[in-house]
Amino acid sequence: MEKSRQTEFVVIGAGPGGYAAAFRAADLGKKVLLIDRDPELGGVCLNRGCIPSKALLHISKVMDESTNLEKMGVKYGRPDIDINKMRDHKNTIVSQLNKGITKMANARKVEVVQGLASFVSNTELKIKTEAGNVSVTFGQCIIAGGSTSALIPDVPTEHPSIITSRIALDLEDIPERLLVIGGGFIGLEIGQVYATLGAKVSVVEYLPNLLPGTDSDLVKPLQRKLKKQFEFIKVSSKVTKVEPNKDGTITVTIKNEKGLNIEVFDKVLVSVGRKPNTGLLNIEATDVKVNKNGFIQTDEYQRTSVNNIFAIGDIIGHPMLAHKATHEGKVAAEVASGHPAAFDVRAIPSVVYTDPEVAWAGLTETNAKENKIPYEKGEFPWSASGKAVAMGINQGKTKILFDPETKRVLGVGIVGPGAGDMISEGVLAIEMGADAEDIGLTVHPHPTLSETVGLASEVFTGTITDLYLQKR
Amino acid sequence: MIKKIHLPDLGEGIESAEVSEVVVGPGDTVTAEDTILVLESDKASMEIPAEVNGTVTDVSVSSGDEVKTGQLLIKIEISDSTETVKEEPVLSEEEKQIVKPPEEKTQDVTLYPITKDTASTDNVFASPGVRRLARELGINLQIIKGTGPKKRITKDDLNGYIKLQMAISAGPIPATQPVIDFSQWGDVEAKKLTKIKQTAGDRLQQAWQLIPHVTQFDAADITDLDALRKEMKKTGAEKGIKVTFLPFMMKALSIILKEMPEFNSSLSHTKQNLILKNYYHLGVAVDTPSGLTVPVVRDVDKKSVFELSAELMDMSARARNKKLKPDELKGGTFTISSLGGIGGTGFSPIVNPPEVAIMGISRSAWKQVYDKESSEFLAKFIMPFSLSYDHRVIDGAAAAAFTSRFADILSDLDHFKD
Repeated sequence: MEKSRQTEFVVIGAGPGGYAAAFRAADLGKKVLLIDRDPELGGVCLNRGCIPSKALLHISKVMDESTNLEKMGVKYGRPDIDINKMRDHKNTIVSQLNKGITKMANARKVEVVQGLASFVSNTELKIKTEAGNVSVTFGQCIIAGGSTSALIPDVPTEHPSIITSRIALDLEDIPERLLVIGGGFIGLEIGQVYATLGAKVSVVEYLPNLLPGTDSDLVKPLQRKLKKQFEFIKVSSKVTKVEPNKDGTITVTIKNEKGLNIEVFDKVLVSVGRKPNTGLLNIEATDVKVNKNGFIQTDEYQRTSVNNIFAIGDIIGHPMLAHKATHEGKVAAEVASGHPAAFDVRAIPSVVYTDPEVAWAGLTETNAKENKIPYEKGEFPWSASGKAVAMGINQGKTKILFDPETKRVLGVGIVGPGAGDMISEGVLAIEMGADAEDIGLTVHPHPTLSETVGLASEVFTGTITDLYLQKR
Repeated sequence: MIKKIHLPDLGEGIESAEVSEVVVGPGDTVTAEDTILVLESDKASMEIPAEVNGTVTDVSVSSGDEVKTGQLLIKIEISDSTETVKEEPVLSEEEKQIVKPPEEKTQDVTLYPITKDTASTDNVFASPGVRRLARELGINLQIIKGTGPKKRITKDDLNGYIKLQMAISAGPIPATQPVIDFSQWGDVEAKKLTKIKQTAGDRLQQAWQLIPHVTQFDAADITDLDALRKEMKKTGAEKGIKVTFLPFMMKALSIILKEMPEFNSSLSHTKQNLILKNYYHLGVAVDTPSGLTVPVVRDVDKKSVFELSAELMDMSARARNKKLKPDELKGGTFTISSLGGIGGTGFSPIVNPPEVAIMGISRSAWKQVYDKESSEFLAKFIMPFSLSYDHRVIDGAAAAAFTSRFADILSDLDHFKD
């Protein structure tokens, strides 16, 4: 029997954007219904993405660092890896955070329903739950439906040895040979985890660079490290054939300008990007406009083409980042509640949590060159940082791009351990309209990695004393 | 399908209007072009069309009501259901409250406030918190002068701006108008001031208080011009165009405004710049039964006396019938007010801000003028006129030069022959 009910405010998707939207709306006095198809709240980020990968990356980083201690006179034995315990550890972390969100939802009296939501009209939803279908008439709706790993045509998807990030993070086993198709941040992060755990990892990237679109000087230190950790990295290369064998292995044909290359792998990780989950929502039943790539179109108020329907996060477009979704979710909740909010940010930071980390915000050199945006640059190599040297980090860089006229910060790029934490200073600088002097004159603690942000500015202003620069 | 007709945005500055006539009632069949309501706003009156074909189901306003932008006026059951009507979301207090699912299937589901895009663009030097506050207050950061380090816009700057605006908009000093019972001295009756009159009153008072006025008086010999006008009047009459003195004055003004651009200007909001306008749109004060209104004739410099005459006839007719569109009352660069047809020897008009000067024309008369060359008194047709100006922008010497030059131009008939 189909039940039907009415609700003032509904949020579809309980990822970082969806639950932020639901909680903010509840805090602003709305009676909120939060729908997710998973039993656990937190979406991909918490259950199958950011958080589990960070738990594993932490382990692999400590393992790698302890190996490096040999040079400093401390030698551990070979690590003894219990993959089951590791998985449990990761699951404990995820479930601890899951519970946290559920508690917050309860405290705010946000009602959570598990089920798959699909639209019936501009004001009506159907939720497929275990207990049957529920029909919901709503006043306002925020779509935070998220995204799923994209697949490659002609590559079998049902095979147990051909996996996406979701399965990879479940850490079923450690394959002997793992191929990562796609050299974006997800593939590199997971590849690095498996490499540290003992797998022979290889990467194939279709474009000429790893982390396509990222400034090449920031990718280089990471690439050098990965070259040592991985079996091979092939860029400008295409996977033309993926054939499962009887013994469970996979034969992969890789094509590049040097010719064809046929290799056998135990597992293949497909990480060629993510696609929006628009298809699950029966969005055609509404007047919500969707672009040709399947992203829902919104304006800066997060409104769709339908008055009472908002959309946020991965489902409205790139960058597909949790922190972007969170901010958009709050804007949607505030606008829907009649507050004069808008998504008005000047930079969204991107972080690759590999070792070393790569992080950037605002203008990149790649972008500046493509769009002929004038800029000037201050760059500080970590080889001149006391803290980095003391930590045994020999590669790393902090660079800041400035407006040639106002000297305000346009963009920041960092590569090195902790880059993801340090980028926040750059984002704040961009939002506040800080210029080179503002950052250079701000006292940064010594010795730290974060002082390289101040020093990069001082390289630009010419007041640096930690380097000797030829007079310009 | 029900179509709700809301009061559309009537344009800058007009937030409310008075319903002067409700043309339709429940049950009436209307077509898209039919007028359903007539409104009288601050500046003009206008007709609201039905927008769709259908039957009126509900009329939410009645004659005499004050309606605000976005307010629901009328509901129409659409007869032609194939026609899809996309409606702009609008805000009204009443509808902000609607959060429960709508009971009837209407096209506009739930309405929520739309904030005008007043916040930042990338080049504004303001932090995220300041940008958000600006959005809340509806302030355009582009026009704010930052007083923080390196001219950063601070929250204090926004507060200062608001205070300034309040001080300005407080406008008319609350006049001490004691309540007097006039009936104690005899019979009285109260006549309601029209909306146009009330608005004009507020604006005139603001202008009078804000602008340091000076009025320059002068007179022009229009004996020859009078002859030319009579000639052109005949030609015009054949085409059905009534040629008065006014288009000649306008033509002369467009010439002199090009020569003396500061008379065709406005002060910038910072009062640090003079905005000189390279277009010549003249406001013409028209007396109508419901009050004074000032329609604007565009590009006077590019039009002939006949064209101006035709346009003036059309505009004043529509002004009297309240058929002017709000746009036709905007964008003037200089105003002319003629009382020549009525009488008087001179008057001091009030400048129409943001313009900086206004010309007043009084009644021409035949005068005896002593001609030194012939040592005779000659009969001359003399037109007295005046120029009121904003002394912050225009000096007395410039104003005197302006009026003399104006008189000169009127005596050179070459300027007016098409």
